Amino acid sequence: MKVDIALFAYLADHQPDGLGGRHARTFDLPEGTTIADMIATLGLPDQPRVVFVNNRHAAEDSVLHDGDRLAIFPPVAGG
Amino acid sequence: MREILYVDMSTLSIERKPLPEKWHRYGGRALTDAIVYDMVPPTADPLGQENVLVFAPGLLGGTTAPNGGRLSIGAKSPLTGGLKESNAGGQAAHGLGKLKIAAIVVTGKPADPDARYMLTIEADGSAKLSRVDEWAGASNYALADAIKAMRPADDRYSTITNGPAGEAGLKAAGIAVSDMKGYPNRFAGRGGLGAVMGSKGLKAIVVSDKGLPYLEHADTEAFDAAMKRFSTALTTHPVSGTGLPTYGTNVLMNILNEAGGLPTRNFSTGQFEDVEGVSGEKQREVTLERGGNVKHGCHTGCVIQCSRYWVDKDGAYVTKGPEYETAWAFGTDCGISDMDVVAELDRICGEYGLDTIEMGNTLAVYMDSGAIPFGDGAAAIKALKSVFEGGAPGRIIGDGAEAVGIKFGVEHIPVVKHQAMPAYEPRAVQGIGVTYATSTQGADHTAGYTITANILGVGGTVDPLKTEGQSDLSKNLQIATAMLDALGLCIFVAFPVLDIPDAFVAIFDMAAAHTGDVWDTDELLRLGRETLTFERLFNEGAGFTAADDRLPVWMKTLPLPPHNTVFEVTDADLDAVFDFVPETAKAMGLR
Repeated sequence: MKVDIALFAYLADHQPDGLGGRHARTFDLPEGTTIADMIATLGLPDQPRVVFVNNRHAAEDSVLHDGDRLAIFPPVAGG
Repeated sequence: MREILYVDMSTLSIERKPLPEKWHRYGGRALTDAIVYDMVPPTADPLGQENVLVFAPGLLGGTTAPNGGRLSIGAKSPLTGGLKESNAGGQAAHGLGKLKIAAIVVTGKPADPDARYMLTIEADGSAKLSRVDEWAGASNYALADAIKAMRPADDRYSTITNGPAGEAGLKAAGIAVSDMKGYPNRFAGRGGLGAVMGSKGLKAIVVSDKGLPYLEHADTEAFDAAMKRFSTALTTHPVSGTGLPTYGTNVLMNILNEAGGLPTRNFSTGQFEDVEGVSGEKQREVTLERGGNVKHGCHTGCVIQCSRYWVDKDGAYVTKGPEYETAWAFGTDCGISDMDVVAELDRICGEYGLDTIEMGNTLAVYMDSGAIPFGDGAAAIKALKSVFEGGAPGRIIGDGAEAVGIKFGVEHIPVVKHQAMPAYEPRAVQGIGVTYATSTQGADHTAGYTITANILGVGGTVDPLKTEGQSDLSKNLQIATAMLDALGLCIFVAFPVLDIPDAFVAIFDMAAAHTGDVWDTDELLRLGRETLTFERLFNEGAGFTAADDRLPVWMKTLPLPPHNTVFEVTDADLDAVFDFVPETAKAMGLR
């Protein structure tokens, strides 16, 4: 299945192509892949995160589906 | 020990009196509220003789409390018609605190409407009013230069200045406070308080704290211990310790866009396809490429360091930030993705003394009328400049989004209590809708920043698209925020405080050790409730009812993409937010 993954702020450095940037990359993943699996694959730091799938907050044990957009942010805030 | 400096602009006299005992636990917003509540009839004309303008550092102002140098400015608002507290960073609050001035209270109006005055407070505590008629119409940056030229080279001082927007009585006029480098770029922007300052003929306040030490404490050892615990919480929490100092407030742009809660083109959709150009990450990259500063505090004693300077292509300073709200207002909400355009609009507001949130909304509403296209930066700059440089639409821009929306026949005007909404969509972030609707301040995100639990996962999680829990979330944050504003703490300390229990304890430990009074959880929350109670009672007296605690009707009927949701929190839930006011008012002896 194909899943688009976008990483923000300093997490962008963890995109496998090493190019940085906030644009999504398309990943070809086996069925049943969870968000937690992808966090491990991408080597994201062990810290709180804000995770969206298709513009909604998602738990890290959620299973991804074909056509999903996964977006991951480090702990950030402003105002 | 603390005193109030009364400045009567009718008689041009100044008096310094002890802070009344009844207010000795108050600072910042609690004190500006208490004084306005006490002195101003709620039905007063905001630009008339009866209104007063109050400047107050927080209870911890003038101490080494981390992030404790925020300034509250209060008056009856010309924009909302209610009791306004507008909050700014910059250097003035610590200066006043060190001078043991709990508040400057400016009353009356000069007989000559063309007269302009500067109030100078020297480090020895003396204060005087000087005539500065030649500064009429001067911009904030010109005032900063003129004041610098007058002060001794070895002085240490801060400025509070009022640009031409305030002199013109415009409802979106804000008041500028100087930062650590002397730039007049920290703003008490919201609610038109610059117009109140202008109505009093007051063009500038200079506060010198040359050679003055930080304040002593009732228990120095206990204060220092609590201060260190608080500082550690701020610097180790990932948001205040890493996220904010690295990217600044504008790191929010992408996350709100991802959540579908980023108001775009006058609140017509929740995502901006060209968000990258005005995102915090891009802002950091460009600023670093151009040699700008990406990490400093807006005031001495800030350990979060979320401020930054935008520089032009030649590396010359243009403006601060831009902060998230400003980048959103002039960027996303106007369909503009060029940060240089955003920065130019920000600088123009800085010169004139206009609130960037209100002005971004105003330009977006003007664009929505069809007068100029969304996304047209040059047309936006021309429209903003027309406030003072002529052409269309002219001065009405400075009166804000509602004034322009009515004049140009725009259906969707995103205001509550006449004040324009900040950078979060109530239809996609229901909790912030509760805050916008119910806040005594008009639509104001800082009043009860539910983005914490709604979007950022700080202090728990509350689903932004559901109605459950939003009323309680907003209520609790509104009380906590009023408390932080009264202490003079930056509201960004809330991020660690919501997650690290000892950070909250450290706050009341600092307050207790500094003042020698008893402070604990109950007392801090009581301070917050009392602050809000002054505001609610004043607003009631000014004619506000439950009908004013509502969002514009179209936000309850017109679905917002991409979630295609409307604002659904019930009126009963909105009316429950201030359920503590009658009991608090009774306990305060106000009812």
